[in-house]
Amino acid sequence: MRNYNILLVDSCKTDIEYTKNAFSVLDIKHTLYTAETEIQAWAMLQGNNKLTPLPEILIIDINEEGINGIDLLRKIRIHPDLKSILVFVITAADNEENRIAAINLNIAGYFRKPIEKKNFPDFFSILNDYWNLVEFPSKK
Amino acid sequence: MIQKLVNILLVEDDLVDVMNVKRAFAKNNIKNELFVAGNGVEALEMLNNMIVPLPRIIILDINMPKMNGIEFLKNLRDTENLKNISVFVMTTSNEDSDKFDAYNLNVAGYILKPLSFENFIASVATLKDFWQLCEM
Repeated sequence: MRNYNILLVDSCKTDIEYTKNAFSVLDIKHTLYTAETEIQAWAMLQGNNKLTPLPEILIIDINEEGINGIDLLRKIRIHPDLKSILVFVITAADNEENRIAAINLNIAGYFRKPIEKKNFPDFFSILNDYWNLVEFPSKK
Repeated sequence: MIQKLVNILLVEDDLVDVMNVKRAFAKNNIKNELFVAGNGVEALEMLNNMIVPLPRIIILDINMPKMNGIEFLKNLRDTENLKNISVFVMTTSNEDSDKFDAYNLNVAGYILKPLSFENFIASVATLKDFWQLCEM
């Protein structure tokens, strides 16, 4: 089983902590990087803090007030080095427009974000099983 | 999305693998309607002429006669009413070039066909859990 780089973009510090906790509880071996803003995320994808190798997997939170993940996703999909990243959108908001926009950008999945800390491990257990099922090209 | 019983299209030329997918669906109690196309040309004809109801999910083989999976994907992504369908590649091809091409065409996952039927059932079970968690 390979180790993947995963970038989580979430404006909610508490949810980032819950996600890190779920990775630890589940003993997920993939490396989790986090960004709290679109600007931070872009710096890690293409700017001064560029991750090497680039993440294979991106988890973007889309919410009403904070990160507009759709704009970030559009930038990723037109960038030759980033367009192939596997993207999972998580949201606590009920926004049909965002859901359709995300699906039209060929995300791998659109998910309702767990609300309580105790539900994060179950949620990430399913995603982790899926990540371990899929194959990526060898890292260059 | 599985609760809403979205339609699934399997694009696969190998009849044994078609049978394996059908059996693995049955073993995992997946009730979604499964349509089958034998290659990319046949799948595009079925989709463009609305011979099958529009699927939300396509399970796609890579090495097929007439039109392979990557060529099919290019056509799919260039067609306005088909471009947003979720595509899961399931293939024996472990070639980096196929994985690279598939992800550049934004597949939802690239899965190597398991060699034993037990592993086939397990892989489909993982897919089922993943589909159930998705809102699509």
